[in-house]
Amino acid sequence: MNSLQGMCGALLVAALSGCATSQDAAQQLQNAQASFEGIRDNTEVLRSAPKDVIRSGETLVRAERFSSYLGSSEDVMHYAYLSQRYSDIAKQKSLLTANNERAAKLELERQRLQLTLREAKLLTLQEQNGLLGEQMVNLVTTDTERGLVITIGDVLFDAGHADLKASANRTVLKLVQFLQLHPLRVVRIEGYTDSSGDTQQNIELSQARAQTVADALVDLGIDSKRISVQGLGESFPVAENASAKGRAQNRRVEVVFSDEQGRMGAAR
Amino acid sequence: MINKLSCSAVLLLAMAGCASDPQPTEQLQLTAQSIAQAKAVGATTDIESLKQAEAKLQRADQAVAQQQFKEARMLAEQAELDAREAEADYLVGQSEVRLQELNKQINRLRTQLRAQQ
Repeated sequence: MNSLQGMCGALLVAALSGCATSQDAAQQLQNAQASFEGIRDNTEVLRSAPKDVIRSGETLVRAERFSSYLGSSEDVMHYAYLSQRYSDIAKQKSLLTANNERAAKLELERQRLQLTLREAKLLTLQEQNGLLGEQMVNLVTTDTERGLVITIGDVLFDAGHADLKASANRTVLKLVQFLQLHPLRVVRIEGYTDSSGDTQQNIELSQARAQTVADALVDLGIDSKRISVQGLGESFPVAENASAKGRAQNRRVEVVFSDEQGRMGAAR
Repeated sequence: MINKLSCSAVLLLAMAGCASDPQPTEQLQLTAQSIAQAKAVGATTDIESLKQAEAKLQRADQAVAQQQFKEARMLAEQAELDAREAEADYLVGQSEVRLQELNKQINRLRTQLRAQQ
């Protein structure tokens, strides 16, 4: 009984101090009213989060009742806080719905563009077939201790740049086809350069070229989660850097495949 | 004068509160659930409102231990909505990242298609 009295005494103190902050409560109530008014007639918000709008209104009514009759500032602030939160949650849910609907539309647009691009690439490929020999395509598959590796040679890039030439279409399409036939396999795309030039710039160029190949695969419908990218610069040369021919061989992008179950060997 | 009157009325209410506020067991469970839900979706305490939710739930538990059930209920009610706000904020953030990514991919596809023609 004694402890109960003591507790009520403590509450009295709290209630008294509550009276002192009634201005804060009025302010918070006003903010909550403004927020509720902002969403009450918004059909989008009502559609996405009807329950939260209703709760916001209900808690606001309670806050108003406490403030106009005999309630403490503590109660007013509490229900104004809840009302404010419900309003904010309703607004966020409505934004989320709008974003998701927009994303669904963009997703369709992306798929449409992917198909168009693939058709366009196949078309140019058929036109080029008579003109370009296999040596231009420069597709090498090797079965080393790193697993299956496909090398995309320097000739498929614009010199000194990261952009792929149209002649890379065949390689890229083959890669896409392979990845679609083996949906569990993942790839690591590694860029390399020769030893001429600045080391840091070489790493950046090799990274950018590897990223370009990754982007090309994603553009044709491969899930970006299956692709990792690494720029290794002038490390791990496959030929000596003394001759122009050797340097050209070192400038390359290698696509390393995981095994059939998606297990990838260690990165270099 | 009016202020004094309302304060004594508040005291009466507060005393009534002492007698009648039950232990908010269900509300505490609900709050814990909404925090767990926000985290399950991927929200972290980097989001201010989730940090607030956890702090308030902790204070609510302490209030229960001290038999201050009204304070416990209020804290837990606020924490529940703090957590739900955190979840909504996080999901909106994710959806915006997704939109950016889609727009980027679409722009890249358009550039490539122009280059093909």
